[in-house]
Amino acid sequence: MGIRRAEAAPALAVCVGYYVGANLGFILRFPPDTPSVMWPPNAILTATLLVTPPRRWWIYVLAAFPAHLVAELRIDWPPPLVLALFVTNCSEALMAAAFVRRFSDAPARFDTLYRVGVFVVGAVILAPFLSSFLDATAVSMLGGEPYWRVWRVRFFSNVLTELTLVPAIVIIVTAGAGWLLGASLRRRVEAALLTVALLAVGIVIFTSPHFDTIPGVPRSPLAILLPLLLWAAVRFGPGGLSLALLVTVLVAITAVTHGYAPLGELPLRDGIPALQTLFIIVAVPLMGLAALIEERRRAEEALAERLGFEELLSRLSAAFVHLPSHEMDEAFGVWLKRLGEYLRLGRIVLLRLDEDRERLSVSHCWTAPGPGTAPPSAEELVNGRNWRELLREPILVPDSSDTPAVADRGEAAPPARSELVIPLLAGGRVRGGLVFGAVAVGRPPLASVVPRLRLLAEVFAGALGRKETEDALRSSELMKSAILTSLPTGVAVLDRQGRIIAVNQSWTQTREDGSPRDTGVGSNYLDMWRRAASSGDPSAVEALDGIRAVLEGSRSALACDYSSGAPPGDRWFAMVVVPLNRPEGGAVVSHADVTERNRAEAEAQRNRQELAHFTRVSTMGELTASLAHELSQPLSGILTNAQAAQRFLAVASPDLVEVRNILSDIVEDDKRAGEVIQRLRDLLRKSEISRVPLDLNALLRDVVRLLSSDTVIRNVTCTLELHPEPIIVVGDRVQLQQVVLNLLLNAMDAMVECDEASRTSVVRTEKSELNAVHVTVEDAGSGLAKDAERRIFEPFYTTKASGMGMGLSIARSIVLAHNGLIWATNNPQRGATFHLALPLSGDGRV
Amino acid sequence: MSGTDATVFVVDDDPSIRRSLERLFRAAGHPVQIFGSAHQLLERGDLSKAICVVLDVRMPGPSGLDLQRMLEAGGHDIPVIFITGHADLPMAEQAFRAGAVDLFAKPFDGQALLEAVERVTSARQRRH
Repeated sequence: MGIRRAEAAPALAVCVGYYVGANLGFILRFPPDTPSVMWPPNAILTATLLVTPPRRWWIYVLAAFPAHLVAELRIDWPPPLVLALFVTNCSEALMAAAFVRRFSDAPARFDTLYRVGVFVVGAVILAPFLSSFLDATAVSMLGGEPYWRVWRVRFFSNVLTELTLVPAIVIIVTAGAGWLLGASLRRRVEAALLTVALLAVGIVIFTSPHFDTIPGVPRSPLAILLPLLLWAAVRFGPGGLSLALLVTVLVAITAVTHGYAPLGELPLRDGIPALQTLFIIVAVPLMGLAALIEERRRAEEALAERLGFEELLSRLSAAFVHLPSHEMDEAFGVWLKRLGEYLRLGRIVLLRLDEDRERLSVSHCWTAPGPGTAPPSAEELVNGRNWRELLREPILVPDSSDTPAVADRGEAAPPARSELVIPLLAGGRVRGGLVFGAVAVGRPPLASVVPRLRLLAEVFAGALGRKETEDALRSSELMKSAILTSLPTGVAVLDRQGRIIAVNQSWTQTREDGSPRDTGVGSNYLDMWRRAASSGDPSAVEALDGIRAVLEGSRSALACDYSSGAPPGDRWFAMVVVPLNRPEGGAVVSHADVTERNRAEAEAQRNRQELAHFTRVSTMGELTASLAHELSQPLSGILTNAQAAQRFLAVASPDLVEVRNILSDIVEDDKRAGEVIQRLRDLLRKSEISRVPLDLNALLRDVVRLLSSDTVIRNVTCTLELHPEPIIVVGDRVQLQQVVLNLLLNAMDAMVECDEASRTSVVRTEKSELNAVHVTVEDAGSGLAKDAERRIFEPFYTTKASGMGMGLSIARSIVLAHNGLIWATNNPQRGATFHLALPLSGDGRV
Repeated sequence: MSGTDATVFVVDDDPSIRRSLERLFRAAGHPVQIFGSAHQLLERGDLSKAICVVLDVRMPGPSGLDLQRMLEAGGHDIPVIFITGHADLPMAEQAFRAGAVDLFAKPFDGQALLEAVERVTSARQRRH
């Protein structure tokens, strides 16, 4: 255990102080008494031990030893006495320091009543009391002086010295520099005035021989000094008081040693102990008072400081509570500066985690004005550490260049340059960190304000968490709003009463197009439909009821088309209303302009019908011969019958029965001709698609009858093998007739090349298991070419010289429109079969 | 006028036309027999009585032209008058080449048919 460089100077100071103090003591000594009136060396040593750790005490004891030898060997004391006196002196200082250190919470401070009490009991009374026995023993044995006298003189002089000198030295050493640097001019002037007053009054009262003869003046001079001592105690605390006491004592004792009689007529030998006692009796309560006042003042300061901090904290919280998240960045900067200045820190850095929670970066930084205040980089702060490691819990990092913290109480100040990292936790997630740095010397140590900094960090964490949440919310809102804006469909949000609370851009635009939705945010959407409904629009009534039902929750959605605009039916809209899934209820309405879509559909429908019509007409061309034959039969019958009747009626007594039969036949033939024409008209008519239940068997019979003349002309047999029960399908009679007609004509065409005996076409109907009817039209022709099976239903595909290639294509589109299927296969032997599958009607009745 | 056995045979698959022709010939005083098909005529008709056959060309089963060939092949020299729902040139050519005396397209004038029949009957009576 060596002596550090930092301890050499104090040791030297102790050595010099001890020597000077010893010489001062000799001046204040009244031989033949060995003890002095005041003996500073013991007090100097005590003060030194109070401010140093016990394991270094030996250094200062050793440092005092040469001073002791040099000072005392000059006097004609035997060396054993000199050594013995060193032992007693040291024993007093060690006892005093050990006692105070044992019982006081801050041995080097005199600012509470308790600390002063411990000091008075241990250092002022107990240590001089006990060590004086040793001293008296040594002096009486080696010096031959009376024991009790030595003990008494030494005890009182040491009590007075310890009482006045130890606090003065300790306070000068520990706080003197600070006071000299920090005290205001007014305080300095006040201190100077007090010193001058003390010296002046002290000199006057201790050196005026007839001072106490003035009438009305108290006999004790201390009573006159008391106001000044109180001034020192109240205004300058225990330190000021002990200095004032020291000055007073020195003045008094100097006066006494110069032959003045401070206590009037008392002889010197009795006067000095009386003076000592008087000082002790006055000084002890004054010390207590000063400590009390100091204690109170400190408590008030602490309270004021605490209130100040709490006000700062509440203002910080208030500043962030309602702050919109986009203003937070600026506020972070402002508040870092305020906090830094208030807490007198070196710098504060706000670190933020990036979105994917991988990297820390410096969000804001405040640095105290001064040299070397460049903001640090995140890398520098993180210093290679993982953020998870860094932001696990608050970490106090002392700067490595500082002296390490000393475990013993009060010996060494905690490092002034240090850094505190506090993680910012909000919503169970680390959002970043606050780094507080006390980089400037002379600022309060960070360790003392950690709890406060944590409170501040909590506010920052909350604000940061809210900012991140709000930013995320806003970006999500922005995205949703961008989606809504980009929609060509008009969208409006309704509340439970039907009031519009939000619309997108398309909604507003559609409105400007002149649609009836002249409703913006704030107006009631139902009102618009009510107006339309009251004007007698049946679809508006339906829509109004539907929207109401959705708003009331009795309907899960509404989808309808409506027309609007002028003229009516000019524009079409598809409206969808769905409930809004939130506790307050409401609905979302969307409107899409389907005018173009509907027009395109109608156009397609019309084209299809026109094509179908064209095909029918061209089919009619193929049927002309057959139809001519079909019509010529009844017409021929009618003509012949009529001419026969003319002949019957030309005779004198006409056979009226004959004529009646003839007329009856004419009527029948005429009807027959009418039916042929009707069938022809059906085929030629541009009819809209109708969907009615019809018997497919009857339809097939009709078509085969229509073709009967053709079959005769082409010498083709057409056989019907129909399911015995009626086969009910739902569809358009004319269109299905066209399909069957087409298939049969194709079958006949296919058999042109065959020899006449085998020109047979078979039409069958069967009910399949899948609730469908299967119709087959089988021919005995040449069959289909290889790829024709696939392509035969494509438009403009034809194998006939005169064909358009549209018949089967249209047949397929009709069958598909009836939810059916059409396909073709080649027969095993010869010819092809066309298949048609159609769903059976549910009720099975015509 | 012709004798009672000088009967006109009518073959047509359309019953209404058959009946009307039967009435027409009866009103004109011609004995007449009607048949629904070629087979009926061949099975039931007494061809010796036939003075003339009015034949429909298109019929299910053997056509009018078939029947004409059959009659010729059977050695019956009976004049044939064709009636047809749709007449075209090849058919007419075929009919006349086979010896048809006349061909009428439906609907035809009954008076003209009667006149044709009467021309045939009077020619046959002259021959006898």
